[in-house]
Amino acid sequence: MEVMAKVAFCVYTAVIIGGSVFAVASSSLVRALVGLITTLVGVAGMYMLLASPFMAFMQLLIYVGAVSVLIFFAVMLTRAESGGDEASGAPMKTYVFGLAATMAPAAILGWLILTRPVASIAVPAEVSIKQLGEGLLGSYFLPFELISVILMVAMAGAVLLTWEKRGKK
Amino acid sequence: MNEFIQNLIPVVIAVVGSMVWLGINALVLVYCERKFAGHIQRRPGPFEVGPHGVLQTLIDGLKLMGKQLLTPDNADGFLYWLAPILSMIPVLLLFMPIPYGPVLTGMQVNLGLLLILAFSSFNGLAVILAGWASNNKWGVLGAARAVAQTVAYEIPLLLTVLAIAFMTGTLDLTEITAQQAGHIGNWFIWKQPLAFIIFLIAMFGETNRAPFDLAEAESELTAGFHTEYSSMGFGLFFMAEYGYMVVICSVCSVLFLGGFHGPIPGIEGWWWMLAKTYALLFLMIWARWTFPRVRFDQLLNINWKWLLPLATFNLLATALIMKL
Repeated sequence: MEVMAKVAFCVYTAVIIGGSVFAVASSSLVRALVGLITTLVGVAGMYMLLASPFMAFMQLLIYVGAVSVLIFFAVMLTRAESGGDEASGAPMKTYVFGLAATMAPAAILGWLILTRPVASIAVPAEVSIKQLGEGLLGSYFLPFELISVILMVAMAGAVLLTWEKRGKK
Repeated sequence: MNEFIQNLIPVVIAVVGSMVWLGINALVLVYCERKFAGHIQRRPGPFEVGPHGVLQTLIDGLKLMGKQLLTPDNADGFLYWLAPILSMIPVLLLFMPIPYGPVLTGMQVNLGLLLILAFSSFNGLAVILAGWASNNKWGVLGAARAVAQTVAYEIPLLLTVLAIAFMTGTLDLTEITAQQAGHIGNWFIWKQPLAFIIFLIAMFGETNRAPFDLAEAESELTAGFHTEYSSMGFGLFFMAEYGYMVVICSVCSVLFLGGFHGPIPGIEGWWWMLAKTYALLFLMIWARWTFPRVRFDQLLNINWKWLLPLATFNLLATALIMKL
């Protein structure tokens, strides 16, 4: 089974990297969104590999099913032209900066992993949703509630912003 | 490696079984739909091919496969052909965790209900991709409607499912079925009548079926998101639609109607599940040919002003009763 886990890891990594390259390289916004969705599906696969199917399904349900669909809606409303400003090539400097920005964290993380390897890689045990719920409402109660408050504030803020615009008309 | 292959065999059997089940259901349901529509409108329906037209859908399927695959000018070719495939593939996975009988379960998954909800959300994505990629105004309008509709109707559906999950304490469909064993009085429809009604209405919204089929409303949008699709591109969307109908009706019968348990103790088996699922499917067909299509603002008003508050109230009441 260990070999299969490694194969699965490679497949998911390829999906994630392929999706992100597709998202960055495509000139059409909708194609970029499809790349993003591919990456999100790959991440869900990684959760599956870490024996947390709940997280994997939630990732699919929330990000693929709802968030990306809403992003799609926004893209459709903006009527982005396929031959817009972003479609033409950027100067060389931009590419160099972009590469540096992505390579810096990758280099730091890689150096950390190589110099300080994890003591042992155990097969992750599956956490049942009951345990997960008890954890969220027990020892991690405060962060859980704080996140809900932040989401609530964001939602109320969004409603308030659109309310004001409507009043001016 | 040997162990891996041993684990793989049941999965492969389940996937092949799902494919066969989906194909048969699509054939049977299309025939039933046309025959039903005919009789509701006082005409015989398909009648020429085979006795009472039973071979009509088979021949139509062959005709569909023989047609040319057309990609419209200026359409995004990659996304255009990705959409029907993306609509079709998840359906095969959705049949896996549904317990059709005491033995006839593709794969017992702890989070079976969540798996179905997660993978069925791919359909909304496929619909908007199809509408956008066809480079057609009707397509885009249909896609925009589909987004607003599926995102809206998913919420009451999830809330009713959550109410059942609160009661049973599990998301495993096999376990939910087991808790409704015995006689008809143990079915959850009696404990959650409001949830059943909300689920039933949201079911039409989620599967884009009439009277809520505004994404493809043929009187205004020709065919909505699949206007441009020819041949099996359209065929895949069509099969996926019937696939989702079968899945959601099966889930409804597991959640509320006792799954494969009969109304009296002792007799249980796949035939009950089949009868319940098909009763719900006929209800969907019946509704399609009896009710006129609603307007889009009415559609969203039903959801946001009625279904959502009622589902929330139902969930809170369930939580309260479970605590007491």
